[in-house]
Amino acid sequence: MNFQLRLGVNFNFRMTVLAGVLLAGVAGLLPALPADAADRLVIYSGRKEKAIKPVVDAFTKQTGVLVDLKVGKTSGLANEIRMEKARPRGDLYISTESGIMEILSKEGLLEPYQSAATKAVPEDFRSATGTWTGISGRARITLYNANLVPEKAAPRSIFELTNPRWKGKLAIAGTRERTTLAWATALVALKGEAFTRDFLKGLHANDLKILTDNTEVWQGVGRGEFAIGLTNSPNYYLARQNNLPVGVVYPDQDAGGFGTPVNPNAVAVIKGAANPEAAHKFIDFLLSAEGQRILVTQDYEFPLIANVDSSEVPPLKSIQRTAVTAQQLADLEEATLKLLTSLNPNW
Amino acid sequence: MTQAGPLTLAPATPLASASGWLPRIGTLALLVGMGLLVLPPLLYLAAAAVKAGELGAVTIVSLVGLAFTTLSLATLATIWAMLLALPLAWLVIRTDLPFRTLCRWLAVIPLAIPSYIGAMSYIALLGPVGSVNTWLSALLGTPQQWVNIYGFWGGVFVLGLFTYPYIFLLVSAALEATNPAVEETARSLGDSPLGVFRRVTLPMLRPSMLAGGLLAFLYALSDFGSPSLLRVQVFTTAIYHQLNTRFDQAAAAMLSFVLVLITIAVLIGQHMLLRRRSYVTITGTARVARPLHLGRWRWPAALLAGMVLSLSVFIPLGVLLAQTGSLGHFLEVVREQGDYIKNSLLIAGLAATLAAILGLLIAFTARHTPPRTGALLSGTIQIGYAIPGTVLGLSLILLYNTYIPWLYGTVGVLVVAYLIRFLTQSVQGVDAALTGINPHLEEAARSLAASPWRVLRRVLAPLVRPTLFAVWALVFISAMKELDATLLLRPAGFDTLPVRVYIHTVEAEYARAAVMALLLIAFTALPWMVVTRLREKKLV
Repeated sequence: MNFQLRLGVNFNFRMTVLAGVLLAGVAGLLPALPADAADRLVIYSGRKEKAIKPVVDAFTKQTGVLVDLKVGKTSGLANEIRMEKARPRGDLYISTESGIMEILSKEGLLEPYQSAATKAVPEDFRSATGTWTGISGRARITLYNANLVPEKAAPRSIFELTNPRWKGKLAIAGTRERTTLAWATALVALKGEAFTRDFLKGLHANDLKILTDNTEVWQGVGRGEFAIGLTNSPNYYLARQNNLPVGVVYPDQDAGGFGTPVNPNAVAVIKGAANPEAAHKFIDFLLSAEGQRILVTQDYEFPLIANVDSSEVPPLKSIQRTAVTAQQLADLEEATLKLLTSLNPNW
Repeated sequence: MTQAGPLTLAPATPLASASGWLPRIGTLALLVGMGLLVLPPLLYLAAAAVKAGELGAVTIVSLVGLAFTTLSLATLATIWAMLLALPLAWLVIRTDLPFRTLCRWLAVIPLAIPSYIGAMSYIALLGPVGSVNTWLSALLGTPQQWVNIYGFWGGVFVLGLFTYPYIFLLVSAALEATNPAVEETARSLGDSPLGVFRRVTLPMLRPSMLAGGLLAFLYALSDFGSPSLLRVQVFTTAIYHQLNTRFDQAAAAMLSFVLVLITIAVLIGQHMLLRRRSYVTITGTARVARPLHLGRWRWPAALLAGMVLSLSVFIPLGVLLAQTGSLGHFLEVVREQGDYIKNSLLIAGLAATLAAILGLLIAFTARHTPPRTGALLSGTIQIGYAIPGTVLGLSLILLYNTYIPWLYGTVGVLVVAYLIRFLTQSVQGVDAALTGINPHLEEAARSLAASPWRVLRRVLAPLVRPTLFAVWALVFISAMKELDATLLLRPAGFDTLPVRVYIHTVEAEYARAAVMALLLIAFTALPWMVVTRLREKKLV
């Protein structure tokens, strides 16, 4: 009896000590909980932290406005904004593509904002109703492995890629990269569905490999798994930073040619934002010379306002852009997706 | 011993129906609580699936194809995990394997390695332009592709490697808790070690093998990271596609709902398998078995254990270490991002503690209510495990932001998400341990008029204590590495370690990602090491 009693007491004693240690641990960690966020600007950013955080820091330093930054997937955050519709939690949304902004805008989830700063952005990079504004741009490029393809042999046009000499050497990200979808939609918008279908069939006849994302594309091309990758302009610089032997072509630049699509990263005020004034201030700061300089140098993008030094990146006006509007992209997206998946389920 | 007075026998209360109003209310409260936790997201899924009506871009043919690939992947990965886990668990617990304590601790580390990180390191190694192909081509002078990790078999390989510890943990805990006398008797009667294992040990391990195998299977079923990286088209990648490309929550809900239905079918199957036969230990002693001497098989056995641990621990960790660059860089990143460690520890610790307590209560309650109520209770909780993290996250945003806004936007909603996803690990583990305890023990205590609470605390809790610590560690590990739901539900400014790994990976800052991944693995593995050390010293 005594023996049993002792055991029981011991057991309880140990449990008490353990519980005490656990409680102390939790109490010690409680300061890790986020503080009350009533007067802080909440930014949902699909844009990379590396690119947006320096702008946020500069903004806080200049205006004294504290910012809570939530970096995630562009589409994940957009889905979150939809779900939070009844009780919005974010003030600002930054996306890596404009089509998604048009969709949110149509669903009434964005609050228009226009100012002198937003009007300095070219009209094809902002919403006609002022619900969203482009903040920087990325062009579609043809990335090639310089060890496998001499510079002179690099294809100047995407339409050359159906040539059998590229068989088994091509890669692109699937449509989960929305810039791929925008690229295909631009083809449908300007060249028509029949032409696009034939062109894509030609690419598939050349065993075009559809990868998960653009990171796989530039890495695959850089390491020589593929000779040619269809991707976005910053990925060329990323591959170069990683010492990979790659070259870049801005395709179809001949006079009257297709040009190459330039997609903006964009910013918008979320409808029902708790801090609209701070949100407006942030948008103006993003589009100021200082904001643009910080934003584009972090990730090799095109500044969208004039007179900002774009360092290594060629100036936007030197590139012939495909003449497609965000409206066209939003309208034709579903049809394009149907076309793509009917050709190959991996899209 | 006190002097025995005249013996009085208390009337035995039947186990199946808990008497008294307190247990009844407790059971009811548990049922309602668990229902409120798990059912709303499920109902949301069902409603959204019904609203979708048609499948959009998803056709019936592709749905069947998806189901076939997903189920084959999960089945083969589970078989591979069993092959890795069973010999290792037996060697570590029952033999004089060299470094057995170290092996036992290391064998759980793969759980701390998120499958997407494991997949990434194997792509770096066995990808078409990975190190192995490069070396072999250089060595043999013929540039060609020798191995390719991409595809279905790569998915099986990687998933098995990072899920076998689920089986290892539960099986080794069960091996420890079962009375070795049975095996010793069989051995003394002249049966060979293999014969003892097959005829005596294996049948006793069935419940924990099934529970562990189920966890591995369900993990493979709901994993997104590795199939997506290894280019295997399964349900989760299709759901991701619907949500992120087509921006179609209805189609995603529909696919998720099919995945949940598959899970329910699997759970019913497991339930029927378990009901067929059951084994209990004769007594409640948790006596340590005398280790079997391996003799000349000692070093071959060590080689086998070493191979399993190399594939699942040393190789991925080696690749990560190679990616971090210099020690200076490592320390700089730690200094800069140390705060995120606290965030991760806080919520994973909270979730694991709640899950261990709830797991014990639920498993105990489920055994003492009518079988159907019990099955309903543990079944409901199991289904939570099958809801893909992204979809669960979205449904919780809608539900909690609308109905419990004060909880949404705090870390509380993360704890809720982790409980929904991982509570079943705790319930399954504890339930398997309870299955191994002879009901006569409990009946004896009850016949001495002990209340159910007292039986739980004084008889069952001490016997399942090793398992309780094991399930705490399991849930802690799962919560530490959860990414999909955390990405959506975390309050702005509150990042966790996996979120940091994700952000740095997406931004192609692999050295930073590797540092954060190593921190994640270290802090996930730490509590497990502490528990193992304490247990060695017989402190817990």
